Amino acid sequence: MKYIITILIFFSFQAIGRESGQTEITTDDGIEVFNQEKYYLLKTNVIIISDEYELSADLVKAYFNKDLYDITRIFSDGNVTLISSKGIKASGEKIDFDIINEGLQIFGKNSLFTNKEIIMTSDEEIKINNITGNFLINGPDSRLKSDTIDITGYLIKGKFSQIKNINEVELLYVEDEKQINIKTETLDMYALRADYDKKINIIELFDNVKIFRDNESILGDYAKINTLTESYKVTSKESGKVKALLDKTDE
Amino acid sequence: MCMTCCDLVVKLNNFLNINKNTLFILSIFLIAIFFATIFYKRGSINVTEESFFSIDPKFDIVNPSFTINNPKEKIFVTAEKGNFLNNNQIFLKNNVFFKSDNFTLLSDEVTYDKKKQTAVSKSTSKFESEGTEIISEGFSIAERGDIILFNGKTLLILKQ
Repeated sequence: MKYIITILIFFSFQAIGRESGQTEITTDDGIEVFNQEKYYLLKTNVIIISDEYELSADLVKAYFNKDLYDITRIFSDGNVTLISSKGIKASGEKIDFDIINEGLQIFGKNSLFTNKEIIMTSDEEIKINNITGNFLINGPDSRLKSDTIDITGYLIKGKFSQIKNINEVELLYVEDEKQINIKTETLDMYALRADYDKKINIIELFDNVKIFRDNESILGDYAKINTLTESYKVTSKESGKVKALLDKTDE
Repeated sequence: MCMTCCDLVVKLNNFLNINKNTLFILSIFLIAIFFATIFYKRGSINVTEESFFSIDPKFDIVNPSFTINNPKEKIFVTAEKGNFLNNNQIFLKNNVFFKSDNFTLLSDEVTYDKKKQTAVSKSTSKFESEGTEIISEGFSIAERGDIILFNGKTLLILKQ
């Protein structure tokens, strides 16, 4: 009888394959289910495959609402990689995935988040909310890069909006006690802080401002740049003087 | 002496006077009784042997059943056979089921602790609840069923 049951269970192990709408989870070192606390721990070499996403990690803590299938939040630890069917890719030391609120937090060195043309990297934290569009990149080597803009700084936060299936930065705040950098197709800007609002098409730069465009460079303490006309105004607090360098060209 | 010999001769003569047919039928009747007795005895031995094996002296209890009293739900434990390991621990074997309103857990060999209301299995196990199926290389139940640990390589299928 023992062998019959073992064989039956073994074959059902083999026969069970993920069907559409199902989530398949495999682990090398078992599952601990905590009914009272409403979560389960998936241990060692965890792989989760569903219609919406694929996740792999060393350890996963999955919170559920009513039943085990009713997952509300997945906290993954160790070599985490998340790939969504919508083109999102995330990796890091830890990932906190809030399924209900569509929030994603990536922690640790070499944290990475990509969504189509947008790439976010940091050595500390990346936080994105798919519903609100809010994002935060915090820590050393934080960077936000897209086809049209490249931003570096210790803290980068803002908001995305999706226009015609393309993600665009709607609001942006960047700061770094050493230096931030914002590069567009035509401008290369440096400062300690920056603010951008797409509604008014204005980038404001604060402290140790440097702007490079073609062969000209302008230095000051504050700059206001119109992203539509690409015109800018630079001021300096102490001397009231702004330094502008215009290189000669062959022409 | 002469009289005694005469009596004996008379008795032998009477015996030789018995009808041969009667003697033949009598013999067949006796043989039939003999074989019937043998077959009956053999039949009795078989019956005894069969019941002896069905009881199986290797197991202390047949069809044991217990209940884990969780404040939220009762978990019924059943099996085909069981052996007492000590006063509290019972080794359950063959079709060991843990059933509650919310889930069913099947395994083949489970050590159940009556006092602590815990269970441990190192055999392949299958857990089923609404929308959930877990197959593992073993399990343990602690905290009166509040905590279930699935051990070894584990497959979890969630159906929405």
